[in-house]
Amino acid sequence: MEKKEKQLTETESFELIQKMISSAKEEMEDDSFYYLIWGWLVFVASISQFVMIRMNVEMNFLGWLILMPAGALATILYSRRQEKKQRVKTYVDWIMKYVGIAFMVALFIVLFFQFKLQLNAYPMIMMVYGMWLFVSGASIKFKPIIIGGIINWILCIASFFFAVEIQILILASAVMLGYIIPGHMLKNKFENLKS
Amino acid sequence: MNLMFKELNPVLHSQLRLAIMSVLISVKEAEFSYLKEKTNSTAGNLSVQLSKLAEEEYISVTKSFRDNYPLTTCKVTAKGVKAFDEYVSNLKSYISKK
Repeated sequence: MEKKEKQLTETESFELIQKMISSAKEEMEDDSFYYLIWGWLVFVASISQFVMIRMNVEMNFLGWLILMPAGALATILYSRRQEKKQRVKTYVDWIMKYVGIAFMVALFIVLFFQFKLQLNAYPMIMMVYGMWLFVSGASIKFKPIIIGGIINWILCIASFFFAVEIQILILASAVMLGYIIPGHMLKNKFENLKS
Repeated sequence: MNLMFKELNPVLHSQLRLAIMSVLISVKEAEFSYLKEKTNSTAGNLSVQLSKLAEEEYISVTKSFRDNYPLTTCKVTAKGVKAFDEYVSNLKSYISKK
């Protein structure tokens, strides 16, 4: 079965190693879906809550109640489909998975204990967002997302000094600057790479 | 001077096996079809070389199923990483002495 191979010279060996490593290093997953879906869902949920508060609607958190489980379901379905398609797992994929789980756990704790945090749940959400964006952006070496993380932290600190109503608007701008804009930039980057 | 050169590991000093190891060293794990595409090899030859690397315990091969199709996944072992590192540093000494 084995073909007789020609003997490699040392230089050829070196070139082969370099070529293979750089070709495997190009392997990058387009993760923009996660930033975009969460960015848009949180944006819509927070704007709708702001509008409903202004209109004195009692169930002003309704958007969150519907959109967040929908986002979770979409994330699970999408990541399962992606895993099936993926023929290679890089170390970045591996780190991203664990960073994602850590993010979900932290977010769950903040959301579940909102009543204990009282007025400061929104700043804490931005703190958790900042952490995820900063670390995940660094793992995929994409600066706009790292900057988005820093913006989320700055807005987190700023929002402590405002009323809840304004905090909601700050949150909407935090996801616009941290998720939606960088997410679209990431998507464009992959689309340009493909073409 | 030639006596100063360490012999290059014959398991790695082969085009396809070296290509497989170079790919696997850069990723966490890879499927058979991915290795086939990257190394530009035939399925038969690739299987033979993967078995050789697995025999030496340089890689671990996991066989499973996905949607009723057999799926072979490979990843480099600690022994494989060490052998690859040694191979590269020996290679460096060859090239720098030239």
